[in-house]
Amino acid sequence: MGHLRLVSTPQPVPTPESACVRAFDRELDYIYATLRRLGAAPHEVEDLAQDVFVILHRNWNSVDLNSPLRPYLFGISFRIVCAHRRRRAREIPFANLDGNDDGLGPESALQSKQAVELLLTALEALPLSRRAVVIMHDLDEIPIADIARHLSITRFGAYARLSKGRRELAAAVRRLLRGRTRL
Amino acid sequence: MNFRKSHPKSDMAVLLEHGRVIPPIPSSVRARSLERARSTEAGAFAEPAEVLPVARRRAMAITLAASVAFVVGAAGAALALRGRAHNEPRVTLPPSPHQEVASCSTPSALPPASQVAPQPIVETKTARPEPSLTARESYTAELSLLQRAQAAYTDRNFATTLLLVSEHARRFPNGRLAEEREALHVKALIGAGREVEARKAASAFAARFPRSALLPRLGHDSSSGN
Repeated sequence: MGHLRLVSTPQPVPTPESACVRAFDRELDYIYATLRRLGAAPHEVEDLAQDVFVILHRNWNSVDLNSPLRPYLFGISFRIVCAHRRRRAREIPFANLDGNDDGLGPESALQSKQAVELLLTALEALPLSRRAVVIMHDLDEIPIADIARHLSITRFGAYARLSKGRRELAAAVRRLLRGRTRL
Repeated sequence: MNFRKSHPKSDMAVLLEHGRVIPPIPSSVRARSLERARSTEAGAFAEPAEVLPVARRRAMAITLAASVAFVVGAAGAALALRGRAHNEPRVTLPPSPHQEVASCSTPSALPPASQVAPQPIVETKTARPEPSLTARESYTAELSLLQRAQAAYTDRNFATTLLLVSEHARRFPNGRLAEEREALHVKALIGAGREVEARKAASAFAARFPRSALLPRLGHDSSSGN
């Protein structure tokens, strides 16, 4: 038995990982969360994350490693999701508004995982350009100057998108909660 | 409605606070993603600094070798026809005609031909090189071709994607990346708006790779593309 166990044990192959893969590994949770926040469906996230890696790897030599990596990764994710949406062409806004409803009131929804679901669903109501700014500023807490740089927009444009996006997000949340209490 | 009436801003802040938390992904998903990343990187390492220039250089070398081989073959045939009456055994390519023919036929191809030409002809005629090396090289070529197709697809250049995919299918019909190629084919057809073909390709993909991890996504894409 012991002999069999010895024979069948696979040899571990410790391969030294490159800095790019290590950085990708470190930020994988963030990449998945960002892609979800930007509206990628759960079954699409894995492939889109791979696309993020391909672009990160391609541009790794030009990445500024002295500044935080997340805004850069967000910029990549944003462009990938934009391209992916254009490909899909058909979009049904508010498609999953009713899908997450399980009869919980707004108070309890704000306390648990449903709050995140609620936020993701509300974010769906925002156009992608404004959603990106809201996510970067209000969720990732990235300064507006960096947002403007990574999304290739002006600072003024970033502020404008942020304020309008916030209004839209609040309205979407209100609408969703109203719908839940009505049911 | 508590949210709206009482403390809309604070509730919104609480909601955003929840949203800021980044949930960890399952370890199996992480392992799969990292595996894909490593394999991508391993493919890219074969062509170190710049992928495209090296690939182009290699393609040029192959083209040069092929053209020189063609010229030498044609010259050999011409020599054979001329010298047929005199001595038949000398019709087979002697080592000297290479330089002769190359120098008289195409002056522009002369400098590279002197470096590249003789070896490939001798190698292909006499012995096949070690299979493991060629397998690795073919995988590299396969990967770089598919990466170009993927890049074209990311740029929404579906015509180029389909072209590159069909080239991949022609060169590597049963390659190691055939599954990815077929998936990309389906997605490019969807992107190009060729829905009927996309559906056919998707069903062919499902028949060929029934356990593919890409299958759910393809099914979703092809059905939403309708």
